[in-house]
Amino acid sequence: MTFVLRKLGFYAVALWAALTLNFLIPRLMPGNPVDQLVSKLAQKGQVTPATREAIELLLGANTSAPLWEQYVDYLRQLAQGDLGVSVTYFPAPVTQVIGQTLPWTIGLIGISTVISFVLGVGLGTLAGWKRGSWLDNLVPVTTMFQSVPYFWLALILLYLLGSVWMVFPLNGGYDVYTTQIGWNLPFVGSVIYYGTLPAITIVISSVGGWMVGMRNMMVSTLSEDYILTAEAKGIAPGRIMRTYAARNAILPSVSGFAISLGFVVAGSLVTEAVFSYPGVGSALLSAVNSNDYALMQGIFLVITISVLGANLLVDLLYSVIDPRTRARS
Amino acid sequence: MTTQRRTSRRVLGAAAASAAIALTAACTAGTGTGAGTGTTGTDGGGTTSITVFNGATGTINENWNPFSPTALQPTLGVIYEPLFWYNLAETSEPTPLLGTDFSWNYDGSQLTITTREGVTWSDGEPFTAADVAFTFNLLQSTPELNTSGTAATAEATDDTTVVLTFPEPSSFMQEAGVLGNQAIVAEHVWSEIDDPVTTINPDPVGTGAFTLKEFSPQSYVIEANENYWDEGKPAIDEARYISLETADAAAGALLAGQVDWMSSFLPGLDQMLADNEQISYVNTPALTASVFTCSNADLGCEGPQTDPAVRQAIYHALDRTQLNQLAGGGFAGVASPTLLLPERDAGWVADDANLEVPQTADVAAANKVLDDAGWEAGDDGIRTKDGERLSMTIQTVTGWADFISLNDTMKQQLAEVGIELKPTQIAWNEWNDNQVKGNFQLSLDSIGLGASDNPYYTYNGKYRSTNSAKVGEMASGGNYARYDNPTVDAAIEAAAATADEAEQKAQYAIVQEQIVADLPYIPIYVNSTLTEFNNTRVTGWPDNDDKYAFAASWKAWDNGIVLKTITPAG
Repeated sequence: MTFVLRKLGFYAVALWAALTLNFLIPRLMPGNPVDQLVSKLAQKGQVTPATREAIELLLGANTSAPLWEQYVDYLRQLAQGDLGVSVTYFPAPVTQVIGQTLPWTIGLIGISTVISFVLGVGLGTLAGWKRGSWLDNLVPVTTMFQSVPYFWLALILLYLLGSVWMVFPLNGGYDVYTTQIGWNLPFVGSVIYYGTLPAITIVISSVGGWMVGMRNMMVSTLSEDYILTAEAKGIAPGRIMRTYAARNAILPSVSGFAISLGFVVAGSLVTEAVFSYPGVGSALLSAVNSNDYALMQGIFLVITISVLGANLLVDLLYSVIDPRTRARS
Repeated sequence: MTTQRRTSRRVLGAAAASAAIALTAACTAGTGTGAGTGTTGTDGGGTTSITVFNGATGTINENWNPFSPTALQPTLGVIYEPLFWYNLAETSEPTPLLGTDFSWNYDGSQLTITTREGVTWSDGEPFTAADVAFTFNLLQSTPELNTSGTAATAEATDDTTVVLTFPEPSSFMQEAGVLGNQAIVAEHVWSEIDDPVTTINPDPVGTGAFTLKEFSPQSYVIEANENYWDEGKPAIDEARYISLETADAAAGALLAGQVDWMSSFLPGLDQMLADNEQISYVNTPALTASVFTCSNADLGCEGPQTDPAVRQAIYHALDRTQLNQLAGGGFAGVASPTLLLPERDAGWVADDANLEVPQTADVAAANKVLDDAGWEAGDDGIRTKDGERLSMTIQTVTGWADFISLNDTMKQQLAEVGIELKPTQIAWNEWNDNQVKGNFQLSLDSIGLGASDNPYYTYNGKYRSTNSAKVGEMASGGNYARYDNPTVDAAIEAAAATADEAEQKAQYAIVQEQIVADLPYIPIYVNSTLTEFNNTRVTGWPDNDDKYAFAASWKAWDNGIVLKTITPAG
């Protein structure tokens, strides 16, 4: 039990440190939200000193308050689950902006990460089991796709499958022309159809890592004595592969998977840009472009919590799967 | 995002620097597909529906509050209307919309407006002058909403007359803001709204040609207002607004027939037009790309650019034909040293010699100015004076491709006369912050649009000392050059104090004489604003021969005019 408590304590401290950094980093950036909005208004028409005053009042932005006061306010609001109001999307609260974008990102990136993990680990297991077979040749191919810059790969696939052969749509999260958002068949079908191409690009570009890691772990596990013992006992090869070799070989991949799950929220920016996909990444981009502190903090918070949460979960899970980690600590 | 034009053109592009290459790919690819694959078009019942891309990226947040600075763009002009509309694309008089006539009293403290009869709100209630009065009084009593700084109080003297009273006489220059830049709201709706500051006004009731039909965070649709006062308009039934992440995506969608109206600078536009007959474009150059200089040593500016001779030399040493070819794609218009638009504002330029900037470099003139000012040729080809090298940094924003190539080309051109230019690229935030606070030597930016074509809106913001501030303090009013000239101040003030155009012109002549000599902003060219249309579903878009509106798909107010003018094709 102390093991669990110690873990929880550690994660609490990490969370606090992340929240504090979260607060500080946007404020160290040049410019502030009021100027940002004033400058944008100036492009549309005339701006007078009165404009600035009005915007300050409107946003209730007290950018002149001492930093520690802002910090205390920030923590207090956070404790109440209030992430503040977005400047970019004023007067929408940050929670609403995140609530609208997060499901898209989790849906697309989350599912493709899982697919890529399952596919990579599965292929890696087989490749490690049957060393020297044709599956081994797949390893360099997939790692090549991984080393190609992701946006380049995505643009090429978009060009070929979207423009040239027109198999998949060019952009968007669903067909905005004919379907309505909601739990209806055409909408769900459309979401899947529109998400397929971006998902394929993510899987292609990330499957290689899982595969090569799993294959190499398999190879070294297969040389262990207990595999030899199992073979000597005449246990079926399929069972040896799954329960003796793969179960031990997968351990490093599980922790890797936890980390990549945490980054599901964060790592979506390029995908969303290329496919005009309506996720958190594009919201983060516009938040940064407009010095939208509240929105930036809100999105960082979601990323932080998901990374920490996934890691905590795996830490705990790991101690169940692999008793050695628990014993040593 | 110096201007809204930049939104579509650059922020989008910034998302993926790689995009440029793929864009070309997308363009050529699209040519094979042509139009007709699009899913817009008619939806069975003979409905004419078009799709607009106005630069929206990512998730769209609903906000139809016409007072809010973050309102969705069709709120202004499409759903809500102003009293009058100013066409900034060409020389024109204000077009009556909800107002039909206006007049000032003798000292410029009262503006009397006659409102249109027979107008109804989209919910069927009649529109009267009382709604106009309510709108301005609401602004007056809610400082959070008053981003224009309008100080007038209003009173409806009868159903079709409203009188605006300004606290100060000579408020003539409030005219365009009040008449053309304020959406009129319904009293019977807004008097019921508890918090006009934060409401997103989900069911907008306007007088405009369209009303809201449906909204989702990815796309929204407006439909024709059955009660619209302008008989027979609009001719189309619906318009859909969509969000796209990059200019590439927009170009692809245009060619695939999924977008009918967008404003982006598209590389290879000529080729695209040649291959796709259904695509047309209009170019409304209105924003003068200029070198902003931190010009005033008294207010803390540092560097050779505080010497007017240096600014003059830069002005003469630029080969603008080459700059237009290399950076402007050949679409840029000719600028004026008076910072007005030669094509539209010729009537406001007092001296014909100041109408247009020279198009080719005059190296001899530039050298002479520098020689006379005591800048001597140095060993490395760069001039010096009292030990100071004639070397300046010029900032622009990362990803603004055309401005970056302007900088690179100007660097070569200025080296010819012994001026060293050091281009830097920084993030928009930092660039903007530097300009507002004066922490720069030279900066590339554009002169934005005013409320009307009256030069006051440019001159007051850019040159008047009250809109300036010491280096390190914020010049929110727009005088980033820190220009301070009592003669200019007095002339701008005098022009603002009269409604007599001849008198205004005389005062602007004084301003022009001073600024042409001082050049705190060195104009390069008038940047193109390219807007592309698909003519398959509708016709009657503005074109280069008939700029009946400023057709950029991001432009507030004008969108409403375009949408009610276009007609279904065939």
